Amino acid sequence: MIATVASHQVLALRRRRVLGVLVGSLVGVTVLAGILGWASHRTIIGVYDESVKLLAARGLGAPPNPFLLKPVLSLLSNMVIYVTMIGALVALVLGHLTVAEDDTTGIGRLVFSRRLTRPQYAAGKIAASGLVLGASMLACAAVSVAALLIVNRAFPSVGDIGRLGLFFGFSWLYLMVFALIGMVTLLITGRRSLGLLSAMGVWLVVTFAVPQFTSGLRPSQSLNPIVDPISTTQTFFRITRRARPLSIAEQFKEASARMIRTAPTEPTTDTIIRALPIAAAFLLLCAITVRLVQRHDFSRSNSGE
Amino acid sequence: MNSQRSLTLAKHEYRAALRSRILVALLGILIVVTIGSVYIASVTHRSQVADYQAYAAAAQASGLAKIAPSPLAPMSLLRGGFEYLQIVGAVIAIALGFLSVSRERSNRTLALLRSRPISAGELASGTLLGAVAIIATLVATTAVVGVVCIGMIGNDWLSPQEYLQLLLAYCAAVIYMTGFYALSVYTTAKAKAATNGLFIALCVWLVIVLVFPQIGDTLDSDNQVPGGLFKAIGLNRADETTVLSHFSIFETTRTRIEYVSFAQHFQRFAFAMADVKERYRPLGLGGLMARVWTDLAWVLAWPILLISGQRHALRNQPTIPEGASS
Repeated sequence: MIATVASHQVLALRRRRVLGVLVGSLVGVTVLAGILGWASHRTIIGVYDESVKLLAARGLGAPPNPFLLKPVLSLLSNMVIYVTMIGALVALVLGHLTVAEDDTTGIGRLVFSRRLTRPQYAAGKIAASGLVLGASMLACAAVSVAALLIVNRAFPSVGDIGRLGLFFGFSWLYLMVFALIGMVTLLITGRRSLGLLSAMGVWLVVTFAVPQFTSGLRPSQSLNPIVDPISTTQTFFRITRRARPLSIAEQFKEASARMIRTAPTEPTTDTIIRALPIAAAFLLLCAITVRLVQRHDFSRSNSGE
Repeated sequence: MNSQRSLTLAKHEYRAALRSRILVALLGILIVVTIGSVYIASVTHRSQVADYQAYAAAAQASGLAKIAPSPLAPMSLLRGGFEYLQIVGAVIAIALGFLSVSRERSNRTLALLRSRPISAGELASGTLLGAVAIIATLVATTAVVGVVCIGMIGNDWLSPQEYLQLLLAYCAAVIYMTGFYALSVYTTAKAKAATNGLFIALCVWLVIVLVFPQIGDTLDSDNQVPGGLFKAIGLNRADETTVLSHFSIFETTRTRIEYVSFAQHFQRFAFAMADVKERYRPLGLGGLMARVWTDLAWVLAWPILLISGQRHALRNQPTIPEGASS
């Protein structure tokens, strides 16, 4: 029955053309990240060459090109930001629609006349979101490999493809957290508009407010994949940085940067520890969703407002 | 147009917005993060002020005739606050616009309002006036909180000239947010289902506030290396300009992408007024305005365009919620 609910949900999203828009948005930002990476990489090599000429004209030697030290996958560094920014919002909307549609169309009132338990229904909804986001991540990974092939004129190594796979798998987990937030806020508030705005509020707090308190990152710094190290020696940060492991947006960015090697390497166990709060949030939200679906009154149709 | 009727509608709009739990929650988030950002910046500033005061006292005691002025810019501590107004403030304005339209529709009071001798113009200007009052209250609250934090935590109180600059920056914030309010009213009023209008407004917000500025920022060659590319290579500002002159097409494209976003113009104007950028700090108000008047013009132009769209959309919006029979 879980598979039936999930496939029906995916079909419903496809019929309403939502599926195409959601997958298209995520693939679109991957293409954008590739184009941006290519454009900045090409220009920066040129900038470095011009700088060397200028310094040579003055009889000065040039320092080594800082970009030669950059790994192949750094081309996709913008993708880490787009997952937390656009991907998370797309996931919120997906999670929201997964629950809202049945309330609005009245399917929620009929579906439990069949031999279907509420936990099965909730699991089907979660699986549908997982399938859509999984398919999106697969498409994004394929686009990324194509972008790397075009820019580097060589097929990425097996190791790089493995890292890419790991990154998109981890992104899927992160996006699932937001899809579940989209479901939970709607199930709690009971109204579409309130649910969507509450989910947006959670996203704003997770993406911008929490990193400011735990690491002193201003909102605009949260949008840049390359950030200057920030001094957090204040007493305030000595207290708040203990909560940094719970700042899932930061942990996602840090762990992802290690996966695509745009940040200094660290022991694998440290990267796994960074991923744990996200996995824990996913499991916790799954449990909350099932609980809320069990208590939700599906007999009251939501007008959509 | 009857101004009394518009005023009554504005009061209704103000009261109804304050009753919305989600709006109050979003306001709470904005105020807390503003206090947090100013507090974090103020603590560092306080030690810098103490260092400067120690230097000034030592210089005075040793009989130095000329003491270097303080290089600190207390208003720049509000940078985080302005960034939050740019991002969270815009979402609040969108929520305000959406709730303004959807409330009347879902409560079925729009049809009732239309049955009264109220023109579409009065309805549009009344709700706009109420929304501007809400936005102004919100911006004023964050401004007062920010200034008090600078004085109480950062141990640095602002001068009258600085207050004037901040006033202009916060007025720009009100106009900027009003633009997003009008956008949201437009998309919600045009949509058959109000939630679809909210989706569209949020998509526009995403592109204007996050995507375009982020593209411009990450394409900046100096931002590709922590600490700055040109610093890493050992080039100064003049050398940077010389090198970048070879990449005029790239630089023009990058800046044009940023230029489309009126959020970026608001940020530039607010940062100039709040002394965030060092190059603007020596300038008086006249000099500042000469440098950033185009940004102010953009900040004004977009909301004016959106407000005219809002009036048009309110005139033609459906009066019943989706799913209800007419």
